[in-house]
Amino acid sequence: MSTVIETRGLTKTYGAVRALDGLDLSIPRGGVYGVLGPNGAGKSTLFRILLGLIRASDGSAMVMGGGVGDVSAMRRMGSMIETPRFPPFMTARQVLRWLALEHGVGAEVDIPAWLERVGLTEAADRKVKGFSVGMLQRLGVAAALMSKPELVILDEPTSGMDPPGIQEMRALIRSLADDDGVTVVLASHQLLEVQRVCDRVAIMHKGRLVREGAVSELTASGERLRLSVNPLDQVAAILGARGARDGAAILADVPRAEAPALIKALVEAGIEIDEARWVGADLESVFMTETGHQETPHAG
Amino acid sequence: MLVDAIRAEGFRLSKNRNALFWSLVFVPVISVAIGALTNFVLKGSSTKLLVNGKAPDQVKLMLAGGPLDLGQALVDAAGNFANPLVLLFVLIGAATIYAGDYRWETWRLISARNSRSNLLLAKLAVVAGMALAAMALMLVAGLAENLIKAGVFERRLTFSMTGEMAGRFLAFTGLSWLRILQFTMMGLLAAVVTRSLLAALFIPLVFGVGQFFTTPIGMQMGIMPDAWLAVLVNPGAAADAVKAMIEGGPGAAALPDGLILKAWLSLALWTFAPLAAALAWFPRQDLSKE
Repeated sequence: MSTVIETRGLTKTYGAVRALDGLDLSIPRGGVYGVLGPNGAGKSTLFRILLGLIRASDGSAMVMGGGVGDVSAMRRMGSMIETPRFPPFMTARQVLRWLALEHGVGAEVDIPAWLERVGLTEAADRKVKGFSVGMLQRLGVAAALMSKPELVILDEPTSGMDPPGIQEMRALIRSLADDDGVTVVLASHQLLEVQRVCDRVAIMHKGRLVREGAVSELTASGERLRLSVNPLDQVAAILGARGARDGAAILADVPRAEAPALIKALVEAGIEIDEARWVGADLESVFMTETGHQETPHAG
Repeated sequence: MLVDAIRAEGFRLSKNRNALFWSLVFVPVISVAIGALTNFVLKGSSTKLLVNGKAPDQVKLMLAGGPLDLGQALVDAAGNFANPLVLLFVLIGAATIYAGDYRWETWRLISARNSRSNLLLAKLAVVAGMALAAMALMLVAGLAENLIKAGVFERRLTFSMTGEMAGRFLAFTGLSWLRILQFTMMGLLAAVVTRSLLAALFIPLVFGVGQFFTTPIGMQMGIMPDAWLAVLVNPGAAADAVKAMIEGGPGAAALPDGLILKAWLSLALWTFAPLAAALAWFPRQDLSKE
């Protein structure tokens, strides 16, 4: 599988702070790839290094087969880092014209079509100094995409957008990957959105990669049996480290094949079972577990 | 790639009406307005000035109503393109171009897809073009001012441009352009190092004012004005020496031996050293903190 981004031992220090700590990451070509992590995990630092805005302290990074700063490789990439800002005296249309010239695709870009695609047709001739954060995000996305890059890096692309805007952005990102064959790498704190739009994710914590894989695999691996039982303490003692309290119930970390035997054992031990059902892990719970924000399953 | 960056930078400047007005339009308009006003005031007071005989020779000449040579006026204007007023207002536009991407936090939009040296050189090219445009507009303003003067004082207009005058015009124009670029390149270095628009404007201005003091301070320290050190630290005096050489006549004859070489070196140093420093610094700069 070919990769569009490859980092080896990538490290960035700011004084005593290690924003990236020997990050090894391979992002495959195609699909939508999410980079997740709490604040300070190193996501933005990673993107800034990949875009050549800052230099790594150690390690290496390759983008589109070239080193960071290899302009011919970088020209095949589009990006939007944080809330984009633009010269305040320009209109949305002028901003796209300016960036098309800057990117060397001035004559090829259909600016009205891009404005329409990001929902800014009516605001096309308004100065950007009056734009809301959501409108700036939309314009930033159009700027990142209009040169038809093979790889797009989007940092918090739905930040500041209203729910319909988020839905439109999700559809746009999916269509880029599915219809245009663009590899989209995005960072977002909206885990539900990430779960809906991404094919694979990397979870970063304290500058390191702590988990990586297809969203379907990550969420499937967290599937647990939720038992509403009485007495709860006795079940917790039976399950030991494989159980975690969830309100008045307990979550049992057992494979599906072992579930009938477990239930039989509980019934034989005189436990009342009101309900037993499978609950899938969502990306949020995987994220919380991997980043140490939630206790791992244990006897409560 | 450099061409892309120049086209983009030029396009962006063309949309910045404030920068264009202050850098290109304001000084010529004000010059014509003040010139016209002065002419009308002088005309109104002409009888009084001629009767009491206190008028300066230049004014007497103007009031006498002799022919007005537009060719000579062009040459004189070219020698005065890099005057402090033009410098100040061209610097406003240059500072906006050099420091704009820090101020508007737009480096991240453009820096990944072009080399940093290309981006900086594109800014320089646009500023160089803007300086030429400012000089051209000053020339037009100078012509307009002379036309008004001819009308007010009922002077006949003539136009003479010998080969020697044309050469002097081109040499003055080139020297003025170099002088303006010299200041803007200091602005470029200031913008890159400080990331501040105000620094890009004021550091070259302070440097310009500081040049007035280097010669007297040097003489206090026993350094003669034509000494290497004195010329190298004072590009303003160096430009004056080159200007005197271009003008010719007794002024040029009085120039000390070897001064012109020192003057050219001084001008080259103050023009290209800031550019080289900015080109060396910028590629290493962290652009995530705009």
